[in-house]
Amino acid sequence: MADEMNHIERAMAGLSNQPVDRLLTYPLAMGVCRRLINGTGITYQEWVSDPKKFAQAFIEGQRRFDFDFAIGLMDLSVMAGDLGAHVRMDEQNTPFVDDPLIKDIEGYEKLEVPNIKDPKTRSYVLVEGTGMFVEALGKEVVTAAFLEGPLLALTQTRGAEFVFKDMYDNDSSRKAVHAALKTITDYDKEMVKAFAEKKPAGLVWDYLWGSYSCLGDTEYEEFEGDYKYAGCLNELVQKEGMANCIHNCADLPHLDTQIKKWKPAIYSMAYYPLIPGSPSAKEVIQNGYADVSLVGGNIDPQGFVRWKPEKMEEVTKKLCNEVLTELKARGLGGRYCIASGCEVPPALSTKLENIQACVDATKKYGVWA
Amino acid sequence: MDKDAILNGLENAIVNGKKAEAINFAKDALSAGIKPLDAIDAGLIKGMMIVGEKYAAHTIFLPQVLLAADSMYGALDILLPHIPREAAAKRIDMVIGVVEGDVHDIGKNIVKTMFTAAGFNVHDVGRDVPAEDFVEASKANNAQLVAMSTLMTPTMDSMKATVDALVEEGIRSQLKIIIGGAPTSQEFADEIGADMHAINAQEGVAKAKEAL
Ligand SMILES: [Zn+2]
Repeated sequence: MADEMNHIERAMAGLSNQPVDRLLTYPLAMGVCRRLINGTGITYQEWVSDPKKFAQAFIEGQRRFDFDFAIGLMDLSVMAGDLGAHVRMDEQNTPFVDDPLIKDIEGYEKLEVPNIKDPKTRSYVLVEGTGMFVEALGKEVVTAAFLEGPLLALTQTRGAEFVFKDMYDNDSSRKAVHAALKTITDYDKEMVKAFAEKKPAGLVWDYLWGSYSCLGDTEYEEFEGDYKYAGCLNELVQKEGMANCIHNCADLPHLDTQIKKWKPAIYSMAYYPLIPGSPSAKEVIQNGYADVSLVGGNIDPQGFVRWKPEKMEEVTKKLCNEVLTELKARGLGGRYCIASGCEVPPALSTKLENIQACVDATKKYGVWA
Repeated sequence: MDKDAILNGLENAIVNGKKAEAINFAKDALSAGIKPLDAIDAGLIKGMMIVGEKYAAHTIFLPQVLLAADSMYGALDILLPHIPREAAAKRIDMVIGVVEGDVHDIGKNIVKTMFTAAGFNVHDVGRDVPAEDFVEASKANNAQLVAMSTLMTPTMDSMKATVDALVEEGIRSQLKIIIGGAPTSQEFADEIGADMHAINAQEGVAKAKEAL
């Protein structure tokens, strides 16, 4: 059946809990779309250091796959790298921090907000590149910037294990962690304002430590949830005219804080069937989270590497049925976007046919009817 | 202080993540004539078991687990050198590491802690470890278990390379291989010729104990 709504109509309907012609879909295909540039693809290094090339991947991805959204994730070492941590750039692998910047307690206090207007920073590339794809695609799909939350950027800069230990090791280490979080929150504020100038419809936070396999409510509230960190950042996004959105692909996400309390426009999440308590799409809808946010999820990203397109179609069909049944039972509109739980692996082994299969299957089996 | 009080103190120091206290109680244990292995069993391991249970039940979280682990290692540093050779030889040797191309090791470190607490002799080869280093460490330590992890998709190939290297060196049949990390699965373990996959540290220890 041919789509009756265009991408933006459908997304706006989903965002405002109205009926849709079919479910929304956006496999989180970001880095992998660099493979579509110039016919043969470009390396990660090239992709993350040139705003034009960064934007080009989203544009090519849209032309090829016909998504309902475009969200500007680069990788999770952008901020840590600009703060001074060493980032390893492999040709075909997501860049990652291989040498943290903060080596001791004093290191936390020495952090400084980088100059994000400096074209040599990846923050600059990210902001400018986001602006370019927003410009190119903004009339066609709902676009959003993507940004690391303060605690994520800090764990990337120090190493998660050390940050978690320093939180409660002693009073001075605890104070030092807070000092660094304050600096990074200031950095995030500058990024939010810079993104806002590029006019994306939304901004997606990666708040991945809001997970019961890492932090409890008390710990998360102290080190990210607090108003002085995520609270004021969420507010700033809206003040700057963007829809506040969250991605959290943890196994046991803090849904009550991140959805019920913060009320993001979109909440993108994963599902780990083997982990007890990991919430399925059905449970998320039944427990009222899709009443509050447009929820995105939850196909296993590894499936895009490992499955045949027939299996991807099967899995997508099953998810569409599950979601349609539950949304209708709860009397909701198109409040679910068929997506991957986290980024589609940007590896060369990812099968591009699987991205297509996911989108096509949603068009076929996600029809509201 | 009597022996029970020392062992209780050791256990509580672990549970509460107090490294300095754990070290002091370990020293007290030695001077009170407690056998180091008893101090490990009745103090450290008991403490870490409680920590593991609380973490599994989500009543404590990573910060507390990591501080407990730190305390356990602090006490182990005091106690291990005093274990008689024969007793030390009875512990199962294992090699653990993050495969080549990946530097994410928080998961590996938690798994290492739980294996240590379960009485394994854990030889940690670190992160971003080439296949040859897994082989070398397995040979050098007569390992009966190799545990590998990765968090990233492209480096999953490095797991296969490590299994292949263990086969090529002719030591594959002498040991069990367990894998873990977000993108891995039992299906993938089967595909690359590993024995087991575990979703978390507790499951890893349980599966390994059953297999050995
Ligand atoms: Zn994710």
